[in-house]
Amino acid sequence: MANIEKKHIIDSNKLSGEQYFTSILQETYSNGLLCDSDMEKIQLQCIQLLAYKCERYSGGESSSIRVEAAESIMKSNLYTIGLYLKSLPDVDFAVNEIKKSSVSEMYQKGRELINVRLRSAKHIYNLVRKNKMVTPNYSYNSTINEGIESFFKVYDPDYEAHETPASIDYQLCNTVTNLIGIEFILKYLENLFLENEFCRDFAAEDIHHLLYGYDKGYKDLLINIFEQVLTAALGCSLANRSVVKLDISAEEVQHLHYELSEYDDCSLSLRLRKAAGKVLEELNADSLPLRRYIEKSLSKIITNILHAVRMNTLDKTFISKALPDLKPRIRFLSGTKMHDEDYRKLIDELLICRHSSDKLVLIKEKVKSFGDLEDLLLDAHLSEEETALVFDILGDVEIAVLVRRHPFKTDIQALDLSEGEMALRQYLKNYIDRLPKCKQEEIFEKADRLIYE
Amino acid sequence: MSFEIIGISSSLIEKQAITEIERCNEFTAEFGLALSPSDAAELVETRNIALKSNGRIEFGSGAIQKIIREFCDSPYISMHNYAETIHELTEMFYYYKNETLDLMSDDDLIKFMKNSFDGKCQGSLELLSGRELANMARNLRYGYPPDYSEDPMPDEEDEDGEY
Repeated sequence: MANIEKKHIIDSNKLSGEQYFTSILQETYSNGLLCDSDMEKIQLQCIQLLAYKCERYSGGESSSIRVEAAESIMKSNLYTIGLYLKSLPDVDFAVNEIKKSSVSEMYQKGRELINVRLRSAKHIYNLVRKNKMVTPNYSYNSTINEGIESFFKVYDPDYEAHETPASIDYQLCNTVTNLIGIEFILKYLENLFLENEFCRDFAAEDIHHLLYGYDKGYKDLLINIFEQVLTAALGCSLANRSVVKLDISAEEVQHLHYELSEYDDCSLSLRLRKAAGKVLEELNADSLPLRRYIEKSLSKIITNILHAVRMNTLDKTFISKALPDLKPRIRFLSGTKMHDEDYRKLIDELLICRHSSDKLVLIKEKVKSFGDLEDLLLDAHLSEEETALVFDILGDVEIAVLVRRHPFKTDIQALDLSEGEMALRQYLKNYIDRLPKCKQEEIFEKADRLIYE
Repeated sequence: MSFEIIGISSSLIEKQAITEIERCNEFTAEFGLALSPSDAAELVETRNIALKSNGRIEFGSGAIQKIIREFCDSPYISMHNYAETIHELTEMFYYYKNETLDLMSDDDLIKFMKNSFDGKCQGSLELLSGRELANMARNLRYGYPPDYSEDPMPDEEDEDGEY
């Protein structure tokens, strides 16, 4: 045994994080640390453990179970043992433990460890919910609020310890690989906590403006917020701007491009690492785990920046903030239309009415909704003068709605339109053209802000 | 090293299963039934094939012992059809474990098989498998009780009271 510990024959890099126990057995066997009889003994013990677990699984009511269920239980058992072996100081300890202990003993220890990990994961999940960013990004919010929560409801450490029943859409800057089950969730939550910790040094509004500059529809994108924020912070640091504000202009990015193009890859990388140090200094980020996480993330971000510098696309990497359109919107409700019968009567009356003034009186008296008025303008065969008189009694918002719904088109573009529709659009255009310039602008501006139902 | 479940076929486990089946002769003797060592080995083989074809796995002697214990007092089983019937019942058992989506325990399924075999099926394995067990499995899958029937059973006697 002492020899095994000294030799360090097993290369831990060859071991799989997901199937640790199986891979360690394979390595041990191929290195001659376990003989055939040892392997057979372990195999038999694994089957005995499986038989016991299968009986528990069926509640003692069924002597046989489906192969898929048995395979899943076997994977779960092996995963649990692997989890325990991973917790030992090094691979040599793990090999020693395999030789010394029975499979069911190792399983029991692994099972206890899963409970400990599960409690830790729940604790970190609560911390993540507390230090969660305020952002409209859907994948971020849904992953934290529902996706991970479902894991704690569904996770079955007895029979499916190796499964990760969580709906995780939000991608981290440092993707969790080579881990499954509770280990995956724990690592994911740890990383997410650190990302949140970093982003909380910035105002939610600044992050929103930065991501808005990245893409107006960022709330629906599968992006990593931390990566964008850290990249922007690096850009600010390089441009000697305040890191906290995440504000770097297009001109400064252009200037940075000229400056950074002069560097070779190695010195550019060094320059970026120095800038990262400055960022951490400015943010007073002295937490060691966070520093390590940022260090780990830097290689990916530096590669992106290097690539951008070489491809002259630095403006796509260092994003300039954009302010969302904060103008108030106008919600327009057209009201309830009159009954069809009443509408037909009104149109008949308007068609036989000879004087424009009478028509106008009728319209003012009978029409109570914008929808009816719109129909009437198409159906009542009003002349241009009469239509203009109707427009006169409307407010700016109603005219703006008409402009939005009946935009003027040239004869060729309007080929598919009805005669009434073409006339209305033409009359409306003429009416708008006759208005003073400032009034026109006012109407068009209102039309832009309009939300009608 | 392989942990493929389907490949598990330990001769030790099989030997243990054969011994357990042979031990059943002790209590089936009073009904004039007995299995030879080769019958027991064949039964284990049938079980293995049935398990494999139905995608299931079993540890120990499993259900065969329970089937023998339940069916040994059936009036429709005698020494000349004993081994053959147990073979068929074993195949049926594993098939309907799947068909019932494991919703029924081994004991309940075997009891249902015995009651139907001795009752409605009057010893017919075809009726047991093709009608009674099939109906029962369908009922369970649709959430009805195992003996649920949409049509009331037609009276077996005709109007004259004759069979």
